[in-house]
Amino acid sequence: MNSPEPGTKSPRARAPGPAHDVDDALYEKSQKIYPREVHGVFATARVAAATVLLGVFYCLPWAQWNGRQAVLFDLPARKFYLFGLTLWPQDFLYLTFLLMLAAYSLFFFTALAGRLWCGYACPQTVWTESFLWIERLIEGSRQQQMKLDQSPLSLRKFRLKASKHAIWITFSLFTGFMFVSYFTPARELAVSLAAFDLGPWEWFWLGFYGFATYGNAGFMREQVCKYMCPYARFQSAMFDKDTFVISYDGKRGEPRGARRASADPRAEGLGDCINCTMCVQVCPTGIDIRKGLQYECIGCSACIDVCNDVMDKMKYPRGLIRYTTQHELDGGKTHVLRPRIIVYGVILVLLCGLFGWRLAQRLPIGLDVLHDRNQLYRETAGQIENVYLLKVINKDDAAHQYHLTVDGIDGLAFGNNVSAVHAASGAVVNFPLSLRAREEALTARSMSVRFTLTAVDDPTLTVNAEAKFLGPIP
Amino acid sequence: MPLWDKTGWIPTPQRVAAVLWITFLMAGVATGAFFSAIDPLELKNCVHFPELSRVGAYTIGFLLCWLLAASSALLAVFFVYPAPPGVSTAQPPKTRP
Repeated sequence: MNSPEPGTKSPRARAPGPAHDVDDALYEKSQKIYPREVHGVFATARVAAATVLLGVFYCLPWAQWNGRQAVLFDLPARKFYLFGLTLWPQDFLYLTFLLMLAAYSLFFFTALAGRLWCGYACPQTVWTESFLWIERLIEGSRQQQMKLDQSPLSLRKFRLKASKHAIWITFSLFTGFMFVSYFTPARELAVSLAAFDLGPWEWFWLGFYGFATYGNAGFMREQVCKYMCPYARFQSAMFDKDTFVISYDGKRGEPRGARRASADPRAEGLGDCINCTMCVQVCPTGIDIRKGLQYECIGCSACIDVCNDVMDKMKYPRGLIRYTTQHELDGGKTHVLRPRIIVYGVILVLLCGLFGWRLAQRLPIGLDVLHDRNQLYRETAGQIENVYLLKVINKDDAAHQYHLTVDGIDGLAFGNNVSAVHAASGAVVNFPLSLRAREEALTARSMSVRFTLTAVDDPTLTVNAEAKFLGPIP
Repeated sequence: MPLWDKTGWIPTPQRVAAVLWITFLMAGVATGAFFSAIDPLELKNCVHFPELSRVGAYTIGFLLCWLLAASSALLAVFFVYPAPPGVSTAQPPKTRP
């Protein structure tokens, strides 16, 4: 993959000269790509995916759940709200789970059908598509855009460019605002914004994300995929000969060449490719799919749609460029069910199951017990005393009264009276606690004790925490 | 000598991305991991710090992580390149042995 094409300048093929001349020529200066507009099955799917994803992104912060924002990563309060679920910093595990799920889904779908993520769901693709759409709306088709860029500055050019950038910037700032809405309640944020009364950090992130959107979707575009995306570089490791990728059927298409629509290509010694270069013109990364699989290809299928149109016009069968596998192109059969797919699939299902099970088992209560660091133990009138710092976390939406018990040593008792704890919804209650045991009851220098915290009104809300009880050598 | 002239094999956007973008991701991970374990308001009791909200502390923490990671990446990129002609007096071999 990505082997140099014939005709590409390689450093050795160049005449000797100062080192940096050679290096200069190794890469072409990146040129602006003007993707041609395309219609077809995949284009419709891509627009539908972009609409759904952008719709979710822009609408979700406005949704309400039990009187609060349904999805809110409340960083100031250190709580994540996901519909009925409230996650705390202590629930970091779930985030790890989620990232693993995302990674394995990516592996699975890449092995199955290549860069589905890149072509349909990646934010870079989705926002670039939206920006391209705005550009087309203002500046017109591919040809009109190219002509406009080549023309000298005129009032019309200035007007078109200025309105394009004004819409882009407004759209970007709105995107930045919606991004911040995931971290600061959207409704309050909108009110503050209307009064130009945001906090400095909200302004900073709104501007930062807005600028990132404007820069990435308006200017960087395919360069983000080529130079910034780690996935683009390692995705080939997940490909095999049975992965569905967008390919040009060279056997059918070559030798390519122009011909009259009525001509019989076989009689003229031609393949089905009429060399109209439409597939190159529609490509958002500016590659020629006929040169084979390249790492720049984001799998957007624009070339499939446009080539099918051309094939229809020529009255040739569709699918000169199509989703296919290396095995099929070589004349073999595609094996969809193969070890790679099965292994990724099984891991994915297991992870999903484990995640769901953990989430279902999760109780909205937490107990942390820390042994006092200053003093290991204290002897008082034949009894040994240990001091602990307890942290009770009520992750529930309601306040609770909790009952605390402890066991592990015969005759273990509380030194201070804190067996009942009250915690408001979302509160963390810290308090010191001393435990006393008779010296005869201790059988080792360090013994395990178990704290049990149970909600008085709901006995299913119960949690255990282990700690060590220290004493002299028995 | 400017660092970002065309002495390298890699186009400028890629070099800038290699430094800024990758370290942006890593700074995000580091900030998330750090602040999920440590509440900035608790940290304030230990370190003398002016009045700052949690979001402010997260932002500054993130920017510091980014700065640290980016300076490390910048130095790595800088030292990956051979010294440009003129810095070294040694002549490059005319032909390969």
